[in-house]
Amino acid sequence: MIPELQFSRPKTIREALNLLATPGQNNRILAGGTDVITGIQMGSKRFSRIDLLIDINQIPELKTITENKAHIIIGGNVTFTELIENPIARQKLPLLVKAASTVGNLQIRNRATLTGNFVNNAPCADSVPPLLVYDALIKIESQNSGRELPLQDFLTGTYKTLIKPNELVTEIRIPKADTELRGDFYKLGRRKSVAISRISLAVLAQIEEDKIKEIRIASGAVTPIGERFPDLEKWANGQKISDELLKLLAKKMAEKITKANGLRWSSTYKIPVLQQTFYQLLKKVTD
Amino acid sequence: MPKITFNLNNKDITITTAYNRRLLDVLREELGLTGTKEGCAIGECGACTVLLNDQAVNSCLLLIGQVEGQNVLTIEGLSTKGELHPVQKKFLKHGAVQCGFCTPGMILSAHALLHKNPSPKEEEVKEAITGNLCRCTGYKQIIDAVMDVTKG
Ligand code: FES
Ligand code: FES
Repeated sequence: MIPELQFSRPKTIREALNLLATPGQNNRILAGGTDVITGIQMGSKRFSRIDLLIDINQIPELKTITENKAHIIIGGNVTFTELIENPIARQKLPLLVKAASTVGNLQIRNRATLTGNFVNNAPCADSVPPLLVYDALIKIESQNSGRELPLQDFLTGTYKTLIKPNELVTEIRIPKADTELRGDFYKLGRRKSVAISRISLAVLAQIEEDKIKEIRIASGAVTPIGERFPDLEKWANGQKISDELLKLLAKKMAEKITKANGLRWSSTYKIPVLQQTFYQLLKKVTD
Repeated sequence: MPKITFNLNNKDITITTAYNRRLLDVLREELGLTGTKEGCAIGECGACTVLLNDQAVNSCLLLIGQVEGQNVLTIEGLSTKGELHPVQKKFLKHGAVQCGFCTPGMILSAHALLHKNPSPKEEEVKEAITGNLCRCTGYKQIIDAVMDVTKG
């Protein structure tokens, strides 16, 4: 059962921010509803005692995907389907589009949003690893202020982020690379559709002749939240590509993840699979 | 209580209801349209699928206030003048209905696909119904039925 609540549908960002600032009550943003409504429905603590739901689906400003010289800008309420069907995203953000196509099923992708995915910040948020390797920034606004920060800093723990109750993520800004980057996204789920991912990996690299000039690596689901691997990236940057190097990199990555997680019951399965899939991903990207 | 106006099955309607109700509840309890089913209630089974502005969505994940001013199509709105819709006819022909619980959602997902893409490949049909679970048929008859619609 959904408890009694107030409901509002602002038409502009300004109006939404004013509603979010309503004092003395618990105001929540409603975007795709795939986490919020199920959360309320199941009586989840994270979604209890909501006084006002602010449905942002009537705000056109949050629905656009545009680009300028330096950035690709994705509105804070773009759904996975809208992203997948957008020509700019398809051409310039292939890893993100690939990850988006693996989310849930069609009904979910038609409603769920990219921003909702990382604001909820479940370990299995599929869009997070690609956004991290793209060095995504996010723009957050409230009634009286605004800030921009790297997504990586915004995500602080499982289901935790730096968002404040009066704030709304209005944009995702992805810096355009000035050189060609090659990359891929991989997801292993338990079931094909509606699979909540168990392992997801994203790799983006700049290859120069036979060397890794720069590599960016991110994981999801196997780590408590989606994260980058700066030490590993530093270690690999500038190295000559060889089968041994890729194997060693995959091994180091698996060790890191084992450490980050402590050992879990699923580790005997996950770690070798992770090492192997990461190796294959590296091979594909550096080929 | 708030009044909510939306287009349901090609007719504008206005209802008076509380904001804490899902579209699914209003369809079934208020409007007596029980073709839309409730399975999991958390967006996994697709039994509650309706079309919102021509897109397949789960009505268990929509609050009634969200459909204000929008177009909603349920299985009851698919047939015209008492005649079954072509997708419904093909489902019957291919034995794609057993217990029938998944059928309304399945048919609406197929309808949404065909609306967007009148001659889909089998892979695309499969993709379009990944959000609709069926415990009975094993899916083959369903996929055959949808593919048959494309042949006219
Ligand atoms: S009842 Fe809505 S998806 Fe299962
Ligand atoms: S016919 Fe029984 S669930 Fe599909």
